[in-house]
Amino acid sequence: MNKLIKFNIIFVFLLILSFTTVVGAAGEVNLYTNRHYDTDELLLEEFEEDTGITVNVLKGGSDELIEKISREGKDTSADLLITADAGRLHRAKTMGLLQPVESEVLFNNVPENLRDEENYWFGLTVRGRVIVYAKDRINEDDLTSYEDLTDQKWDDKILVRSSSNIYNQSLLASFIELYGRDWAVNWAEGIVENMARKPQGNDRAQATAVAAGQGDIAIMNTYYLGKMLNSSNQEEVKVAKQLEIFFPEKTHINVSGIGLTKYAKNKENAVKLMEYLTSNKAQKMFAKANYEYPVNNEVEPSDLLKSWGEFETQDINLSSLGENNKEAYMIFNQVGWK
Amino acid sequence: MLNKIGLKNKWSMISLLIIILILLPSIFIFLGLFNETSDNWIHIKTYLLKDYVINSFILTLFTGIFSIIIGVSLAWIVNAYDFKFKNFFKWALILPLAIPPYIGSYTYVGLLNYTGIIQTFFRNNLSIILDPSLLNIMNLPGAVFIYTIFLYPYVYLITNAFFKKQSASIIEVSKTLGKGPFEIFTKVMLPLSRGAYVGGATIVVLEVLNDYGVVKYFGISTFSTSIFQTWFALGDINSAIRLSAYLMAFVFLVLLVERVSRGDKKYSYSSTNVKPLKPYRLKGLKSWAMFLFPATIFTIGFLIPVAQLIYWSIISYGNIGELNIISTLFNSVGVSLVGSALIIIAAIIIANTVRINNDFLTKNYARIAIMGYSIPGAVIAVGVMIFFLKLDSLVNMITSYDSGLILSTTIFMLIFAYFIRFLAIGFNSVESGFQKIGSNYFEASRTLGKSITETFLKVDLPMLKPSLLSGFLLVSIEILKELPLTLILRPFNFNTLATRAFEYANDEMIHESAILSLILIIVSVSLVYALTSFKKKGKG
Repeated sequence: MNKLIKFNIIFVFLLILSFTTVVGAAGEVNLYTNRHYDTDELLLEEFEEDTGITVNVLKGGSDELIEKISREGKDTSADLLITADAGRLHRAKTMGLLQPVESEVLFNNVPENLRDEENYWFGLTVRGRVIVYAKDRINEDDLTSYEDLTDQKWDDKILVRSSSNIYNQSLLASFIELYGRDWAVNWAEGIVENMARKPQGNDRAQATAVAAGQGDIAIMNTYYLGKMLNSSNQEEVKVAKQLEIFFPEKTHINVSGIGLTKYAKNKENAVKLMEYLTSNKAQKMFAKANYEYPVNNEVEPSDLLKSWGEFETQDINLSSLGENNKEAYMIFNQVGWK
Repeated sequence: MLNKIGLKNKWSMISLLIIILILLPSIFIFLGLFNETSDNWIHIKTYLLKDYVINSFILTLFTGIFSIIIGVSLAWIVNAYDFKFKNFFKWALILPLAIPPYIGSYTYVGLLNYTGIIQTFFRNNLSIILDPSLLNIMNLPGAVFIYTIFLYPYVYLITNAFFKKQSASIIEVSKTLGKGPFEIFTKVMLPLSRGAYVGGATIVVLEVLNDYGVVKYFGISTFSTSIFQTWFALGDINSAIRLSAYLMAFVFLVLLVERVSRGDKKYSYSSTNVKPLKPYRLKGLKSWAMFLFPATIFTIGFLIPVAQLIYWSIISYGNIGELNIISTLFNSVGVSLVGSALIIIAAIIIANTVRINNDFLTKNYARIAIMGYSIPGAVIAVGVMIFFLKLDSLVNMITSYDSGLILSTTIFMLIFAYFIRFLAIGFNSVESGFQKIGSNYFEASRTLGKSITETFLKVDLPMLKPSLLSGFLLVSIEILKELPLTLILRPFNFNTLATRAFEYANDEMIHESAILSLILIIVSVSLVYALTSFKKKGKG
């Protein structure tokens, strides 16, 4: 038995050792990312091939990653942070975790409204949070704005996910910025009033519920409809085909974005990666694979996205999504948006 | 002096060390409790707390009750009767445990929703449009269903082991007294096995309280979702910790109920002469009727979700990028074996110390050892992270060489977190093993002049083996399925089956996550299978 225990102990340590990778000092960049898409992995691989720089990736929830960077302090191993929400990037900035980047390439690639005012972070892809409706039941002319959704005519018709979701929080945060707190409270109250069911499921589930007739209108992100149209489940494709996207007046947009950490150890490589991800080549891949809008104006959206048409967006700085996040969260709780 | 604080021997000292190690990260967290309450806390109390309490209470209460009903009756059936495919069910009924509840929930929603196979079939083939709200499980009852069907095996496993070890002679006596199987079950076995099934149900309840995936997907707010929300959306770690403290109070209540319901009664008797129970042989129709119940549970808890995942894997096969299955698999299996081995070794040391020493300090070891299981994963994660960062700065200070982060960028941190989180499961198995063999042999061996260690190796260990193995199995499966800790504490480029499956599912690409979920389930199933076949051969 003694032998068995000894063997076990040795075995345990060998296994632990085998996980401990030695990290070299040169030619690498460390990325904390909240995006889990296969496209991103391909892009990073290409970057590695083109530049010889190794990219180390740690995936996780954006909040957890931010917390981690903050706890690691000046010793942080992260050089770059990618999150799928501008509000979170703003939080990282206000927590003092990021540093500004002065790069002509980035300034050229990323339009001003899609990056931080002081260049602490830069957008990578754009998505809209829009109205999706049942073609057979709703006339497009009846739809106008987000505000209109609180009208009594939509009583029991609206499907939207839980308020714990960051996309909803950012949507309400943008309203606080544009129209003030009272407006936002009224809007959230009105939506709760008109909900077809208690909030549940993800964005795709809202779209499916519209097709199933549980409601007529869903509030959701654009790219999910793209994904459903290309789903491997034929029934989901059928569902998506019954639906249409409507861009309300001043459509709410949000970005996936990237920021350089304050204590980045591989700053030069990190900036190279930022520039690469906003370049035409990478932006084309973003646009194609994940049904998101590219930030780089020189790159055209995919055919599907073009077919949805152009739209007018909210004229706010995306940092405000982060500034108003807490307020938005509290309003949701007050009005009982589960 | 040393004796007084329980440092009688090597065992006690190592135990104390482990206990201190476990406590350190929590201390960092609970120091935060003494901070002032913020406006956020008032907001939480006004608008949210009631929902958290009610939802968490309903989920745990009903999942607990249903798990006991299903787990105990299944355990009794496979022990007391002979029926069709009984030997298969004996271990197959553990298998739902191999499916993480969050994957189970995605699977069932995918199956039952509008684009799922059931509604589609009715719509396209029979032109019947089902009312979608009938098949909607994204609500409290639905969550209870998911938890029960994927977690009841904890009750089944522990109760089954109890029936196997304890019942033969009692049942023979009952039989001689002219009792039928149903009466024996309700009047004798049910009261006797209370400790066992309450123990199992306690694990189930703690799992439910800690689960994040299912309730988040269903849009139900519970303590565990609220802790994340408060921490992240409000950016208020102090209120988050306060909520954790509430949750832990809740958990201690549950544990107290367990203690009380176990009472002081110890039903163990130290006879190694455990004869296997002679089951009632059922024939013909009766045999098939008895077959139906386990078959139904197995189908719902395992066959259906697995079939759905296989189907999704097939249709999505072309969609997913490079999977790196081998390295992901290696990571998953590796951390789970290492973690489980460490946990079982520590559990043995502590449980043995607790058994031998009777002083005040040692008595509390058991409670501390299982404490980690009641702390929300996210809180453990932060505690461990702070602890390791402090450790790193200490290392830098001592070596007076600024080498940055050493330990906290390695897998050690993750394994340590697993250790804290899952020691409870290993400990419970080992402790119940010790309870079963009683202390007579130990005392006899000591009287014969053997040391504690010799006694342990020669006397206790051989008798303990089944409990150690089942503990090892349970812990490995837990680690395989574990999410929040792995997500937060893993080093660079380190993916496990669970994290990858979750990433896809979280991005609403449930079809794409199917292959990884399937591999995860296959690994867990082989663990279950290896264990049961070993048990049969070894005969403990």
